[in-house]
Amino acid sequence: MQLITMMPETRNEKRETRSKILLPDIQFIKRVKKESNSDLKACMQCGNCTVVCNLSPEENPFPRKEMIWAAWGQKGMLIADPDIWLCHQCGDCTSNCPRGVKPGNVLASLRSQTIEYYANPSFLVKWLKKWWMLPVTVTIPMIIIHLILIIAGTLTITPDPVNYSAMFPHALLNSSFSILALLMIVGIVFSIRSFWKGMVKGYRLSGFEPESQSSVKERSPIKSGMTEKATSIIKTIWQVKKELLAHKKFKDCETNKFRHLAHAMVFYGFVALIVVTLFAILSAILGNYPMPFLNPVKIVGNLAGLSIVVGLLILIFQRLIKKDAVSSSNFFDWSFLISILLLVITGFFTEYARLVNDHLGYYWYLFHLIIMWYVILYLPYTKFGHMVYRFVAMVFVIQTGRK
Amino acid sequence: MQQKHVLVIGGGISGMTTAIEIAEVGHEALLVESKPYIGGKVVQFSQYFPKLCPPQCGLEINFNRIRNNSRVKILTSARVNSMEGSKGNFKVQIMKKAELINSKCTACGKCADVCPVERDNTFNYGLDKNKAAYLPHEMSFPFSYTIDESACLRNECKKCLDVCEYDAINLDAREELIEKTFHSIVYSTGWEPYDAGEIALLNYGNHPDIITNVEFERYAAANGPTAGHIIKPSDQSAPKTIVFIQCAGSRDEKHLSYCSSVCCSASLKHALIASEKLKQVKILIFYIDLRVSGRNEDFLKQVEEDENVELIKGKAGKININNNKLFVEAEDILSGIKTKTESDLVVLATGIQPSLLNSKLPKDDYGFLLNDKLPEGIFASACASKPLDVSASLKDATAISLKAIQN
Amino acid sequence: MEKKLGIYICSGCEIGKSIDMAALEKVGSVSGEHLCRTHAKLCLAESVQNIQEDIKKEHLEGVIVAACSPRFFTKEFSFNQLTERVNLRELVAWSHEAKDADTNMLAEDSLRMGLAKMKSILSPTPFIPDQSSSEILVIGGGISGITASIEAAKAGYKTILVEKNKLGGWSNHLHKQLPMHPPFDYLEKPLISQKIHDVKTQEKVEIHENSSIKEISGQPGEFRVVIKQEEKETKRKVASVVLATGWNPYDAEKLTEFGYGQNPNIITNLDFEKMAKAGPVLKPSDGEVPKQVLFIQCAGSRDKNHLPYCSNYCCGTSLKQALYIRESSKETSVFIVYKDIRTAGKLEAFYEKVQHDDQVFMTKGEIGQLNLQGDRILVDVHQTLLGDNIQLEVDLIVLAIGMTPQNTEDLNLKYRLGKGLPELKYEFADSHFICFPYESRRTGIYAAGSVRSPMDISSSMEDACGAMLKAIQCAEATKRGEAVHPRSGDLSHPEIYFSRCTDCKRCTEECPFGTYDENEKGTPIPNPSRCRRCGICMGACPERVISFEDFNVNAISEMIKAVEIPDEFEEKPRILAFVCENDAYPAFDMAGQKRLKYSPHVRIIPVRCLGSVNNIWISDALSKGFDGILQIGCKPGDDYQCHFINGSDLTEKRGENIQEVLEKMMLENERIKTVFVEINEYDKIPRIIDDYVEEIELIGPNPFKDM
Repeated sequence: MQLITMMPETRNEKRETRSKILLPDIQFIKRVKKESNSDLKACMQCGNCTVVCNLSPEENPFPRKEMIWAAWGQKGMLIADPDIWLCHQCGDCTSNCPRGVKPGNVLASLRSQTIEYYANPSFLVKWLKKWWMLPVTVTIPMIIIHLILIIAGTLTITPDPVNYSAMFPHALLNSSFSILALLMIVGIVFSIRSFWKGMVKGYRLSGFEPESQSSVKERSPIKSGMTEKATSIIKTIWQVKKELLAHKKFKDCETNKFRHLAHAMVFYGFVALIVVTLFAILSAILGNYPMPFLNPVKIVGNLAGLSIVVGLLILIFQRLIKKDAVSSSNFFDWSFLISILLLVITGFFTEYARLVNDHLGYYWYLFHLIIMWYVILYLPYTKFGHMVYRFVAMVFVIQTGRK
Repeated sequence: MQQKHVLVIGGGISGMTTAIEIAEVGHEALLVESKPYIGGKVVQFSQYFPKLCPPQCGLEINFNRIRNNSRVKILTSARVNSMEGSKGNFKVQIMKKAELINSKCTACGKCADVCPVERDNTFNYGLDKNKAAYLPHEMSFPFSYTIDESACLRNECKKCLDVCEYDAINLDAREELIEKTFHSIVYSTGWEPYDAGEIALLNYGNHPDIITNVEFERYAAANGPTAGHIIKPSDQSAPKTIVFIQCAGSRDEKHLSYCSSVCCSASLKHALIASEKLKQVKILIFYIDLRVSGRNEDFLKQVEEDENVELIKGKAGKININNNKLFVEAEDILSGIKTKTESDLVVLATGIQPSLLNSKLPKDDYGFLLNDKLPEGIFASACASKPLDVSASLKDATAISLKAIQN
Repeated sequence: MEKKLGIYICSGCEIGKSIDMAALEKVGSVSGEHLCRTHAKLCLAESVQNIQEDIKKEHLEGVIVAACSPRFFTKEFSFNQLTERVNLRELVAWSHEAKDADTNMLAEDSLRMGLAKMKSILSPTPFIPDQSSSEILVIGGGISGITASIEAAKAGYKTILVEKNKLGGWSNHLHKQLPMHPPFDYLEKPLISQKIHDVKTQEKVEIHENSSIKEISGQPGEFRVVIKQEEKETKRKVASVVLATGWNPYDAEKLTEFGYGQNPNIITNLDFEKMAKAGPVLKPSDGEVPKQVLFIQCAGSRDKNHLPYCSNYCCGTSLKQALYIRESSKETSVFIVYKDIRTAGKLEAFYEKVQHDDQVFMTKGEIGQLNLQGDRILVDVHQTLLGDNIQLEVDLIVLAIGMTPQNTEDLNLKYRLGKGLPELKYEFADSHFICFPYESRRTGIYAAGSVRSPMDISSSMEDACGAMLKAIQCAEATKRGEAVHPRSGDLSHPEIYFSRCTDCKRCTEECPFGTYDENEKGTPIPNPSRCRRCGICMGACPERVISFEDFNVNAISEMIKAVEIPDEFEEKPRILAFVCENDAYPAFDMAGQKRLKYSPHVRIIPVRCLGSVNNIWISDALSKGFDGILQIGCKPGDDYQCHFINGSDLTEKRGENIQEVLEKMMLENERIKTVFVEINEYDKIPRIIDDYVEEIELIGPNPFKDM
């Protein structure tokens, strides 16, 4: 946490660092415009978006300021801006914008660019954002899985009745997935580290308050002292975790009421599946696997999967009917939705095949695993990463004293 | 000089000006107005900006110019039915509505005294009531009572008929078709305030203390529903905070995508009036850009110096009604704060929308008539062709007068 | 010889119920010569017909209609004989107790006053210049002047267009023009070359380029104009004048805070426009394409140290110029720092259009320090919408400078009151009236375009039409001998009885419209068609030698004398009220309509303007025994509402002289009071009257009563 000590304690310091020549990044403007499908330059800075946003805080609210930063090509300010992560993309701002410039889409695009910026290695994000790189990005997990199975020599073992662990032994599965998860976590840690650094730097450089406005409260300085900091960070994390789990913020959205439900279905479904998976791993180690169909854990797992599918279908349906009004619909966004949908559906097929003893199940299982790898391996680089980024940004925001 | 006959449609201040200016050159003008009186919107205003002078003053001069000029004729309660022909020879049919009270009326007021029916006073945008037989306002021109056809009980009542000494009332009057030929035609059909109810987040219509700027004019006017007292309509008390919301509908592609160009100055005026009348009041004006033109900048200065008034950059896009209280939400952009202001009275600066939205004449995307697309000899002036304040409207109305008398 | 009058008293609308009609008829029949009739409904067509027949049969030379206010049934009660209205309805019956002795006295006095006035007035004979011209002079050959000439020609009027350089004015420098057609978001080709072509091929326009006005003398209908082109002088006679001399850019040299003059790459929007017209926009320092251009809006406008007003054109112009650069150089970025973007009306669409350009960056902000380091200029901008103070590095700065009006002394009027138009705020030759944008204090001379008010091209073209209409109107009205606005159609005009004139110059100084010139001795030379018939000169004249046929010192004095003053023991004070007929009189009418009651001791004399009140009336009234005198008129001051500019102001100024009169007569100051009301303040009328009556009652009766 040594980064925090870089925070300014006095305004003078802040002012010095501030007199920096402002240069618009025109490529950035073009990219945001394209990605968000928004005429963001036409923003006339009325602040209506800020007003209608129920998630925007009182001090230095968003997204009006993000809109002018984007219009002025201030990439540096934006990628260091935790506020874009406070947006849950409900579309209230977009549907009420008097100039029709879709601030919600712009923020979504800014988030994806932030992920891209901090991701390590960042070329992965660039790949994952392009639909024509899909063969490459899908081939990687495919090759890895096949290599594992070829090396293990179990690829061709497909006994009757269907027994997936014969093809992919549990030990191999668990250990390879553990390595995979570790890799993913390392990716996240690196990305998040630079993200945090970036936000700290941005905080230091900014000083949004015009000096003449005495009414504006001084930014509360970050508390010093290691122990205090540590406890406060832990507290904050706990608070944010609670907030995210409760999905409170979504409830405030007005334009897109269904989103709350849909997002919650996907989110909780996912959480449940993670828990179920841990159980499964545990029971696999203990040897009583696969569980019978009516095992409570199994039931929870199936219900969770169903919940994800329904939630996703709602989200997809909404994107299709209100294409421009609410959300952007680029590949970054779609690939995220579809990969999860495929993941769950292939899971169901795999399970179904085992129950009816259909040998196609082995293919489904492979397919399922490949998508699983795709999702987990690329998590820090896809929209999936938003969970982590949002979490960190919210921690940062609370740490810097924002309400 | 060959005398020409010009038809002016719409008897607001612009149409009136066009007709008079043409007549004073020496031509003839017929002014057709659908209401029972001429003067249009400005007679409902309390004061003009930036002089804060009463509109009635200039109206009286114009009425005098009409009284003393036999070349200008007015036809109230009338509408143009049809027109054909071309420049120099327009044949126009005008439908004069049934006149239940005719020009014999001396405005003695006896009919209103006995009239048993009450109606919404349209002159005050329905903020109070008056009789079905009524004088629209103190300076109605022509100075004559009129009967609201839709409210009058006709032959079931007839009380007014009995008291009128001048034989001025005929409850069985029929409409009348008038046909005339004109050299040219001027549309001075003016504007209507944009319907604030269309802007859902502003909650207009859901709380009595959310009013529009044109309604505010009536509250501020001495001859208005409160005799010039600025009040909270909900409980008639004096408001302690008033918030003005600029661009309520204007500069918004979902409503009026153009700038109505008068609302800034109008709200500045309202703020000064409220500050002057209420003394102890906090007034906030939320704006996107303050658009006052030319030397009206001094007027803006005057408002900036008023201790009761604060101008805040940021559109107030939302009014929350909570526990029957009003909370106006905006981003105070220059302070970087999202504000929530509890307000006793909220005035929505609604914009100007052309009256002739449904006409088949050539219009721009906003519904304003397009002078260079109109047939030769037909013109649109002032707010029929673009959003303008009074002074600019009259400049335009005078300019169009020249076009209308060209050969 | 006394005129034979027809006196018609109406008893309708409660008049008969309120007033003793028999007694009133007796007043009307005092002189057996006259015809006096009472009618229950005088306004009905039959009654009016009867009056007309009487006029013919009985050879009436004048008609008195004692009925409602002259503001109603005006057209019905206008006969081809002199007509006087006595207001028995609003001012008597509706505003006082019915069947009351005081009300009766008021009604009788009102009729007496009407009769007295009739004795001393005549039907006016119009003044028509002998050889009035129909041509119109247009000064200034910019977009406004050219438009004025073309549009006048289309209406059949010949114009003489005088331009000091060559036709076109500032418009000649335009590269492109702001949108005037739907969808209002694309730049248009400048109109000026087409306009110049049109005006040059227009038969009815006589063009004088490289010429100036040496002198304008005379009056509407017969202005004598001397046009000077180098040594050549041309004389023309015109009926009226349109002044369209336009504007000058604000002196950029004064804008040191924006670095003008300190770096060749800081230029004005005009320099920029010229550059764009000539070719691509380049940096003056090295002829290179600029990479970062900054437009500073309101450079010297909306600024108390420079021009306090908004020039209206600069926002649109800078947006337009931003597009010029973007079109000529794709890699150049444009910054616009503004106070407010003012693209009123449909121009909003163009603002949005310019915003769409990826490389145009706009923010509200205050320009701070400029750091001029050779080719790069660092500019601090405070209070921006980016939430912070920012610093821009630019290599070209364009200052959006404002408009100042051309000096109106270019008119070279040979007027007693000066060569130019009396200027209003910030030297623009504008009207002071919201309702009458072309109102001019020099009759027959109408300002158009940016000499009148800061405006852009489309607005100037409109303005040219408006001003030209007024000029044509003035030409036609003068031919008929009629006054122009606001007493349009008035045929009366001032006449001076010169043998008693003392050359005191009061009239020549006080006439707000410059009607009077002076000879070397200081004797006034009237120019009746410059006159607006307000009567201020009449009020000013200490010798009372100025009169109108239907409104003169004598007539009002007779009215004052006609009032019967009860002696002091009756405790019935008498107040004389001079009421301005423009705003105050209608307010009295409305008080009557609302049946507001006030003291019946007041006798009202309507006047054309408070400025027309001659002090002799006041001393007449005091000598006659009036206890107090009220003068009620329009609001004076900076935001005056006086229809004749300074009538109310003059009343206040002349008050000093009146105090002298009072002192001489050893009377209290309070016996004369001036009150200003607005037309809609009818509710205040009773308080004004009653308070004053009370005040006078406290002072006690006028000691001159019995003399």
